[in-house]
Amino acid sequence: MKVDKTLIASVALHVLVIGWGLVSFSARSLEAPPPESMPVDIISAEQLSKITAGIKTGQKENPKPLVEKVADARPAEDAVGKITEKKEIVTASAPEPPPKPVEKPVEKKPEPPKPVAENKPKDEPKPIEKKPDPPKVDPIAEALKSEEAKKPVPKHEAKATPPPPPKPKQERTFDQSKIAALLDKRDPTRQAITGAALNSSASLGTTRGTAATLSQSELDAMRARLASLWNVQPGVEHPEELYVTVRIRLNPDRRLAGPPQVISTGSSPRYQAAAEAAVRAVLQGQPYTMLRDETYEQWKYMDIDFDPKQMFRS
Amino acid sequence: MSVTSFSLAPLPLSRRDILIGGAACGAGLLLPSLAGAQTKLIIPEGNVAPLPIAIPDFVGGTPSDGEVGVGVTQVITNNLRRSGLFAPIDQAAFIEKIVNIDAAPQFQSWKTINAQALVTGRMTRQGDGRLKAEFRLWDVAAGQQLIGQQYFTSPEYWRRIAHIISDQIYERLTGDKGYFDSRVVFVDETGSKERRVKRLAMMDQDGANVRYLTRGSDLVLTPRFSPSTQEITYMEFGQGDPRVYLFNIETGQREIVGNFPGMSFAPRFSPDGQRVIMSLQQGGNSNLFVMDLRSKSTTRLTDTPAIDTSPSYSPDGTRICFESDRGGKPQIYVMAATGGPAQRISFSKDDANGSYSTPVWSPRGDYIAFTKQGGGQFSIGIMKPDGSGERILTSGFHNEGPTFAPNGRVLMFFRDPGGNSGPSLFTVDISGRNELRVPTPGFASDPAWSPLLS
Repeated sequence: MKVDKTLIASVALHVLVIGWGLVSFSARSLEAPPPESMPVDIISAEQLSKITAGIKTGQKENPKPLVEKVADARPAEDAVGKITEKKEIVTASAPEPPPKPVEKPVEKKPEPPKPVAENKPKDEPKPIEKKPDPPKVDPIAEALKSEEAKKPVPKHEAKATPPPPPKPKQERTFDQSKIAALLDKRDPTRQAITGAALNSSASLGTTRGTAATLSQSELDAMRARLASLWNVQPGVEHPEELYVTVRIRLNPDRRLAGPPQVISTGSSPRYQAAAEAAVRAVLQGQPYTMLRDETYEQWKYMDIDFDPKQMFRS
Repeated sequence: MSVTSFSLAPLPLSRRDILIGGAACGAGLLLPSLAGAQTKLIIPEGNVAPLPIAIPDFVGGTPSDGEVGVGVTQVITNNLRRSGLFAPIDQAAFIEKIVNIDAAPQFQSWKTINAQALVTGRMTRQGDGRLKAEFRLWDVAAGQQLIGQQYFTSPEYWRRIAHIISDQIYERLTGDKGYFDSRVVFVDETGSKERRVKRLAMMDQDGANVRYLTRGSDLVLTPRFSPSTQEITYMEFGQGDPRVYLFNIETGQREIVGNFPGMSFAPRFSPDGQRVIMSLQQGGNSNLFVMDLRSKSTTRLTDTPAIDTSPSYSPDGTRICFESDRGGKPQIYVMAATGGPAQRISFSKDDANGSYSTPVWSPRGDYIAFTKQGGGQFSIGIMKPDGSGERILTSGFHNEGPTFAPNGRVLMFFRDPGGNSGPSLFTVDISGRNELRVPTPGFASDPAWSPLLS
C-alpha cells in the first residue's frame, strides 16, 4: 500500500507541535497571596506632576520629562505661560512718568514741553528723547501706555494725531469703554523648566521623576511606626547614655534583608538592654509598607537613631 | 540554704534558622562598606511603657510538680508587675500552650499578643528530693534565647528560686541589677494606739514569709541590715535609756553595741559590715560616733552643740551623709567618713522653712533619699549627693523613713494616715511613677531593705 508521505509528515509534525505544546503550556497553579493592607496617600495633581515630572498635555510615550533649559532639575509649576527671565519687581511708588504728557498736549497743543515742565520739571528731556525711559518703570503703567508712548513723538511735531479722549486734570473718571486699557497686556510668563538635558516635548510623566525623594510623609510614617513600637523603660536614669543607632538594609519588599546592626557603641548592661529594645522595634516594624517603590534607592540602607534623652528632660 | 545554678545550653536552632543566620552574617560584613549615602532617621520619642512580657505557667516535670510550677510563675509575675517596668500579659490571651521548654516556642503566636519577651520554665522534683528549676527567657521579635538557667534547691525554697529568676529576667531586660531576692526588716505594730506593741519583723521584699524577731515586750525602732544580711542593728527602749543592739538572725542572739552613758540611737552598718555608725547623746546634744565591731574601739566624728543624727555611709565608705540642726533647722550634711568639715546639701527652694531628715545613701551612690518636712506635709524625695536635682517622689500627711532597694531604683517608706489607723509600708520607684502598698499582716513602720541575698 502506498502511503502518502505528506500525510506522514503532517501527522508527525502535528504530534510534535501538540507534544511541545503540552509540555510548554502545562497548567500553572493560580497563586492567591493574601492581600496586604495598603497605605493610601491623597495628593494633589500638582504633587503628582512634581513626583513624576509630567505635564497633563504631554505624550504618553515620551519617557523624558520636559526640559527647556539645562540647569539643576526643577519641575514646572504650570507649563502654560511663556518663558521669561525673572524680572525685578518694581513697586508702584516708583517715579511716575509719562501719562501726564499725554493729557497736557491735548489742552495746549503748541507747546507740549511746557506743561510737562509745569507738572514735573524732571520730565523735560522726554519730548526730545522719548525712548530712554527711566530705567525703573512700573511694568503695568508701562504696559498701559505702551501704544500711546510711541505716539507722542509724531504728536510733538505734527500735532496731527488727535490724542485719546481727554481727561479732566487730576480727576480719575471711570470710562467703561476703556476697561481694556486697564488690563495687563503682557503675555503670561513663567520660569523655564530646567533639567539635565534639553528636551522639547512634554511628557505625561515617568515613574522616576524629579521628586523621587523620600517624602516627609513617608519618613514621618516610618518614624511614627518605630516610635510606637520602641518600648522605653519608664523612669530610666541617664537617658543620654542610651543613644542607639541601628543600621538596616531593606529589600524591595520592605522587609529587612538581614538582622539590624547596632553601630553605636556602649558596653554597660543598660546600654545593651536599650540596644535590644531598639532592635526589637525595628524587627517588629517590618514590613515598612509606607515606603514607596520609587524611593527604594533611598531607603535601601537606613541608619535609625533611637534617642531617648528628650523624653526624660527633668 | 543553698541554691546551685547552671546555665542551660541554648536550644539547637533549626537548619533554616542557621541558614538565615549565615546569610545575615554575610550581610553584616557587607553593610559597613556600602554605608555612606543611606537615609538617617531619628526617633526622638518612644513608647514609655512597661515591657509586655508573657509568663506561661512553668511546666511540671512530673505530674505532682504542676502546683509549684504555678506558684513560681505567680511569684515571678507579681515581682515583675510590681517593679513597674514590666506588664505581664494575662494568661487568658495566650495562644500557644507551652508543654515542652526544650523546644523553641512558636514566636508568631507570641508576637500576635504583643509579647516582647517570653519566659518558659519547668519545675522537677529530683530523685534525691531536691527541686530542679529551669527557665528560658526569649526575645520574641528576634526569636532568640536571652537566658537559659537551671537551679537546684530544697523544695521549701521555691519562692526564693522564683525571686532569683525574677532578678535574672529584670537584669537581662533592663540592664539594671534586680532586687527581688532580698528581704525587708521592719517594725510590726499591733494593738490599739495607746497600747501599741512593736515587734521586729522580717519578710521577703514582696511581703511573703513574715517572721517575728522579737516578742514585743520592749519598744524597737530603726532596724538596719548588715551587708552580710545575717545581722540587724536597731534601737531598743529597754529598762533604762534607749540602746543600740545587734541581732543575729540565724541564732536569735542579741547584744548591746558599746556601753555608753546616755542614749545611743540611729545606728547603721558601714558598707563593709565591720563598723556601726550611730548617734550618742551628750546632754541636750548628740554627736556621731563610729564603733569598730571587732576591736570595740569608738571614734568621735562630730563635735557640735547640735543634734547630729541619722548617719548613712556612701556605698564606697568614704563619705557620710547625716542630719543636723546646727543651722537652726534639721538639714542634710555630707562629710568625709573620718569626720572633719561638713557641707550642707539640702536647700528647700519652695519653702524657706522646709527641713530635711532621715538621709540615706543609695547603694548605687547616685542619690540620697530623704524625708522633707514643710508646709504641713511630709514628703519622700531624692537628691544627688551634691544637693542638686531634688525630686519629690510622694507627699502627704505623714511619709517617713525611706530605704533603698539593693539596686537603688526603688524606695520603701512608711506612711501613717493619722487618726486611729496605723502606718503601712509602700514602695515607690525613683521616678515617682509607680507607688504601691506592700502587704503586711498588721501595721508596719521603719522598713529597712537588705542587700541582695545571693
